[in-house]
Amino acid sequence: MGRESFAERLWGVLAKHTIIIVLVGLIIVFAVACPQVFLSGENIQNVARQISFDVIAAFGELVCLIAAGVDLSVGSTLAMAAALTMGLQGYGVGVAVGAALAMGLVVGAFNGLLVTKGRIVPFIATLGSMEIVYGAMLTYTGQRPIPGRSEWFASIGNGSVGPVPLPTVIMLVLLGTFHVLLNYTRFGRNMYAAGGNPEAARLAGVQVDRYRFWAFVLSGFCAALSGVLLASRLNSATIHMGLQTPLFVIAACIMGGASMLSGRGTAVGAALGVLALTILSNGMDLLGIFTYYQMAIRAIILIFVVAVDAFYVSTVHKRLATASAIGAKRAERRSIPRQQC
Amino acid sequence: MSNRRIIPSPSVSSASQVGAPAGPDGGSKLKATLGLLRQVRFSARDQMALLLMIGLLGAGSLLSDVFLTPRNLLNILWAVSVLGIVAVGQTVLLVTGNFDMSVSMVVPFAGIVCVGLQIAGGGLWSSMLAGLLAAMLVGLLNGVIVVMTRANPFLITFGTQTLVYAVALILTEARTWYATIPAFNVLGRGTFFGVLHYSVAIFLGLAILVQFFLRRTPYGRYLYVLGLNEEAGRLSGVLVNRVKVLAFTFCGFTAGLAGLIMTSRLNSTRASGAQGMDFDSIIAVVLGGTSLFGGSGGTLRTVVGVMVLGILNNVMVLAGVPYDAQWIAKGLVFVLVVWADRFFRRDK
Repeated sequence: MGRESFAERLWGVLAKHTIIIVLVGLIIVFAVACPQVFLSGENIQNVARQISFDVIAAFGELVCLIAAGVDLSVGSTLAMAAALTMGLQGYGVGVAVGAALAMGLVVGAFNGLLVTKGRIVPFIATLGSMEIVYGAMLTYTGQRPIPGRSEWFASIGNGSVGPVPLPTVIMLVLLGTFHVLLNYTRFGRNMYAAGGNPEAARLAGVQVDRYRFWAFVLSGFCAALSGVLLASRLNSATIHMGLQTPLFVIAACIMGGASMLSGRGTAVGAALGVLALTILSNGMDLLGIFTYYQMAIRAIILIFVVAVDAFYVSTVHKRLATASAIGAKRAERRSIPRQQC
Repeated sequence: MSNRRIIPSPSVSSASQVGAPAGPDGGSKLKATLGLLRQVRFSARDQMALLLMIGLLGAGSLLSDVFLTPRNLLNILWAVSVLGIVAVGQTVLLVTGNFDMSVSMVVPFAGIVCVGLQIAGGGLWSSMLAGLLAAMLVGLLNGVIVVMTRANPFLITFGTQTLVYAVALILTEARTWYATIPAFNVLGRGTFFGVLHYSVAIFLGLAILVQFFLRRTPYGRYLYVLGLNEEAGRLSGVLVNRVKVLAFTFCGFTAGLAGLIMTSRLNSTRASGAQGMDFDSIIAVVLGGTSLFGGSGGTLRTVVGVMVLGILNNVMVLAGVPYDAQWIAKGLVFVLVVWADRFFRRDK
């Protein structure tokens, strides 16, 4: 790969490490702009709590992105899970949470079936289920907010373990789980294989469709879990929950190194992506920037991130793909069985 | 027949061959009948929306006596005409294999620019022109970004949707703006002879015009080429990028036109005025039978798709289905239609 032009190499380096550069940059900017508040313990706790919900949803989205799909229904699933958690509390908290999580699994399985059995493109399939679940949520709630009844349940989202907020602890546990799952298990490696080059993965004996199915199920589950925790944090469910979630988590995942177009991305990267976007809005809040301007800035960031990702993939990645195709041919000549599973 | 893919797939041509009068020696009636049946089957899968529409019309006529009156049908057309105009632009984009999710925010945005200019003292025509231009500018922006980065048009236009929404909120401070020029109302509320609304006429006229453009002009053909095989188009000398940008700009134009009509009908506009129209317009186009992957379809099909949505709405209201459940119905119909589309295509 000695023939990469300087621009391409720069893209490559940036695409690998952008998220850290962006994070450090943001922290420096806001630490200088509002030093007392931004770096105060209270604000850090606040941000840590705030990111937990989005990071959990982002993990699900990440798995989907890795297995070469996208799940747009995460926002609706999140809102529906919150509504069920609050609405069914009359039957006991356990039942309510169980129903919400089961709903997430069902939505995920529905998406997975549409994509694998129905052969519908992921973003169209999940666009459909997004509308269906959104409609179900509106019908169920009657467009009214549902208040919580259980003090105990509210303490999950609002509680702390020492200085660390409880949702953050849950998020960190999930971070570890997903990190290990994706990096150190066959399941994870096959996920990457199924997304990166489905045809090659199929020839190597990976059941691509099965992994894509489970990616959607995981995504549905994570979104529902995020909804349950968010409902506990706010101790209510509103119809406005999750409206921005799909875009937010997709942008975060891509900032963290995932791609719309190939099986890339890491759990740590996704978490850092959410952290960067949250710090941005937190900092803008502290600086007193009006909500609508924040919205515009976030939209521009999304467009920028998606555009850079696509540009990177269409230039550098194509060359890499050619190189790996040549490599594959050589390997074929040597005829060494590369993967057994 | 005119709505078929321009490059007929093998089974399509074989179906029409079988359906044609049987060969010189084959004269058996059985063969001809079988061929006819096959062709009917083909048309049935090709014209799902038409069948769906007939079914819904039947259901509606059972539910209410007034349903199948010309008056009610014209009312339905009037109700869907704004969506229909957006869907015409969306069809042109879908033919090339692209999407525009930003339409749902561009529609009210065009109204906001128009009404804002009126409030600032602009004239009727200049304010309307400004609204249209603003919408086309957003379309142009979408097109340029998509062409330059080759990014997923879906996410890019999702981004511009939020951006336009934010700009609209900043401009209006999240308030509803009212039009100040009384003559502006005519566009949305006026009728020909008290029967046919201008907006309906614009919708149908635009659909016919664009259908003609798609089928009978080189540029129209290029759009299909883009959807079928962009690389082949490039190699045979089609200015792929320019055509794509123009398609996005046209979609912006139709969104702007729809926005002006909607604003004029309501005499007011607000930033979130057309929520859900992105999804609805894509459903309408796909319902009509235009493929999600580009290269087939047309705007006359979209008219049928839009009518199906309108009738579905009307029937559900007549049947007393709660308003919010309509999202579920639309989502289900959408998934079903896309699935059926895939299923039959695989079948070929």
